[in-house]
Amino acid sequence: MKTLAAWILYLWIALVIVGGLAWAPPLKGFVAGGESSRIVFFHVPMAWTAFVAFITAGVASAVYLRTRRPRHDRTAEAAVQLGLLFGALATLTGSIWARLEWGTYWNWDPRQGSIVLALLFYAAYLALRSAVEDHETRRRLAAGYAVLGLVVAPFLFFIAPRLASFSLHPEPVINQRGEVDMDPAILVVLLAGSLGFTALFYWLLDLQRRIAARLGREALGGAGSEA
Amino acid sequence: MSTWIAEAAAIFAKDWRSELRTRFALNTLGLFALTTLVVVSFALGPIGASPLAPAVLPAVLWIILLFAATAGLPRLFVAEEETHTATALRLTATPSALFCGKLAFGLTLIAAIELLTTPLFLILVQLRVDSPGLLVATLAIGGYGLATASTLVATMVAQARGKATLFAVLLFPVLVPLLIMAVALTRQAVAGEAAGVALTELLLYDASVTVASLMLFPAMWNP
Repeated sequence: MKTLAAWILYLWIALVIVGGLAWAPPLKGFVAGGESSRIVFFHVPMAWTAFVAFITAGVASAVYLRTRRPRHDRTAEAAVQLGLLFGALATLTGSIWARLEWGTYWNWDPRQGSIVLALLFYAAYLALRSAVEDHETRRRLAAGYAVLGLVVAPFLFFIAPRLASFSLHPEPVINQRGEVDMDPAILVVLLAGSLGFTALFYWLLDLQRRIAARLGREALGGAGSEA
Repeated sequence: MSTWIAEAAAIFAKDWRSELRTRFALNTLGLFALTTLVVVSFALGPIGASPLAPAVLPAVLWIILLFAATAGLPRLFVAEEETHTATALRLTATPSALFCGKLAFGLTLIAAIELLTTPLFLILVQLRVDSPGLLVATLAIGGYGLATASTLVATMVAQARGKATLFAVLLFPVLVPLLIMAVALTRQAVAGEAAGVALTELLLYDASVTVASLMLFPAMWNP
């Protein structure tokens, strides 16, 4: 079953890549006749997936604090690691695109600021984990910190950027009028890409979690499951 | 309820008593704030009248306050773990009362740093503040958020290795929204503008962090 799902995912992502590079029309007004805009099909889904990953980590941590079952903590840790990966890739693709469109790799656009701080926060989460010896204490403190992240994130993503006087980023896909202001083919690829990358994230999360569980069991000398 | 207040007050009084006996935080924290302040002002010179000053100096002021807090506030719980009095506290004190007592101690420390640093900074860089009332309000509201987040993070750090460095690493990303809003408000105070939407947002941040801290603290404190 899982193999079949993995194959469907593989095909799906392949279709998104082909759709983004060949099928969707180029966006007018971007350099190279709009061809440079094709990076959006990777940039936006990766930023979205990083967001999903950090929310997943926060929720799993809250559940861990309630139930104290180690598998929720493994989910949170793996989600943070993957979120950092997707977040770093979103930042990197965004930075390359910014160099093409806006002329510099980095210009402290509010959203660039938010994502860098989110990455710093979750890097600090991993630093906290590595600084605690005792397993139970490590899980407990890390979970608390991740939940604190859920509380602070809205300020980082929605409130603080509004204090900036400008943003080069466009409006969200669904703008304030509630209309979708985009070519249908581009929208289809973007949504398919976001869905595909989210599924990819949950697949990687499952793998990472199982690896962590197995390593944990082996560390205990193969004696019983810890979950 | 009255025993809860008595507990929090006892924690607060105990912390101040041991502080006044050693004067560790007051000496190091006060000197740290003063040294940073002098170094920064010396490097900048009296630039208060330059056109860039209203944009730059509020950020500098808040960074000095942030670093001073980072230098002093981990002591709140690190001292308890180092002297092995944390176990006694775990056995006797109600977690929420303990948190509030510690928070009150942290608040008085932050207030002391702000009272020491801000007037000196304004004098040394010769910056004129057009609405001092807004500045005081910003320092109070921002200082409260600073103290609350620091108290919670100090609880976590006290149980880990590499406490002082880790404290800054953990605290800064949490405090960045506060820093952005407080700097925006301080700029408005310097320019003499009315307080913008940032004031409401800063209050909202304080409220969110307070609620999160009260909910998380028992789990962070008790093994």
